[in-house]
Amino acid sequence: MFYLSELEHSLRVPPHLLNLPLEDAIKSVLQNVFLDKVLADLGLCVSVYDIKSIEGGFVLPGDGAATYKVGFRIVVFRPFVGEVIAAKFKESDSNGLRLTLGFFDDIYVPAPLMPKPNRCEPDPYNRKQMIWVWEYGEPLEDFIIDDSCQIKFRVESISYPSVPTERAEDAKPFAPMVVTGNMDEDGLGPVSWWDSYEQIDQEE
Amino acid sequence: MKANAGALTNFEVLDFLNSRGASKDTTRVIAPIARSEYKVYDYLVETAASTQTRESVTKFADKCKDFKVAKAEILNIINLRPSSIVELLPIIETPDDRKINTDGILELVKDLLPPLPTTETHEDNAEEETDNGEQL
Repeated sequence: MFYLSELEHSLRVPPHLLNLPLEDAIKSVLQNVFLDKVLADLGLCVSVYDIKSIEGGFVLPGDGAATYKVGFRIVVFRPFVGEVIAAKFKESDSNGLRLTLGFFDDIYVPAPLMPKPNRCEPDPYNRKQMIWVWEYGEPLEDFIIDDSCQIKFRVESISYPSVPTERAEDAKPFAPMVVTGNMDEDGLGPVSWWDSYEQIDQEE
Repeated sequence: MKANAGALTNFEVLDFLNSRGASKDTTRVIAPIARSEYKVYDYLVETAASTQTRESVTKFADKCKDFKVAKAEILNIINLRPSSIVELLPIIETPDDRKINTDGILELVKDLLPPLPTTETHEDNAEEETDNGEQL
């Protein structure tokens, strides 16, 4: 789920940070630049881990600040394909489910990857939402997917869409990293579905 | 640039944030931690990572090598702490074909990785329910 990545970056340390020790000043600039941002093919930057090297400190002509070349390590959130993650419910509509981790919201479970057989019905309490129901067992029992507990999914793919040049009026906000999840497997889906599994097994 | 300089478990990330002074304290102004980092912290304290220690995690990873599971799978087990077979199965790819001793892994999880306080109470309730069922 989390990785360390080694990066190198040229950055400008503005003069108002000169009262700090150099390392602290550079760290605060790095945090401003990278934290909570997605780097394509690298993931979501969570935290600056440490600084490995600081080079330079040149003042470029016409500039009132020193520029350093810094090598550093950063903690990134980048799930791997096949990983199982516990997330929380965010939205659901006829296209599928949207999950959140609190710090990352762009997790989608599309309709073809929902537990089968399923059906989708309108939510009586919220007109914008649809409820997904898994039909399972003999006789058929309804298992509803809602926000009552954590939901586990398996990472199917991760994509880094490029920034669109044109934006439609009603388009969704741009997401730089999108995780597609799969829930169509035993043990996946809301954790409450599987709590009683072992008991039933033993009774049999 | 090196995109992958090592994977981290949830526990290691939480430990790193703790070492910088993150806490459940509601004021959240004293520690030099960004708001986005606190979101990660909030997610992690609710996972099994909050009860793990460095010793238990390294010991578990060492012992897990005997089961011939992949590194990514060990990482996933530590992060999720599966307590039953149905929780473990999605993590491990084709356990039957690879002849993996899933019961052994579950034993090891029970021995070395402490359960979440909340799930523990839940298990207690479940036991009580089954007890009642037998009496009836």
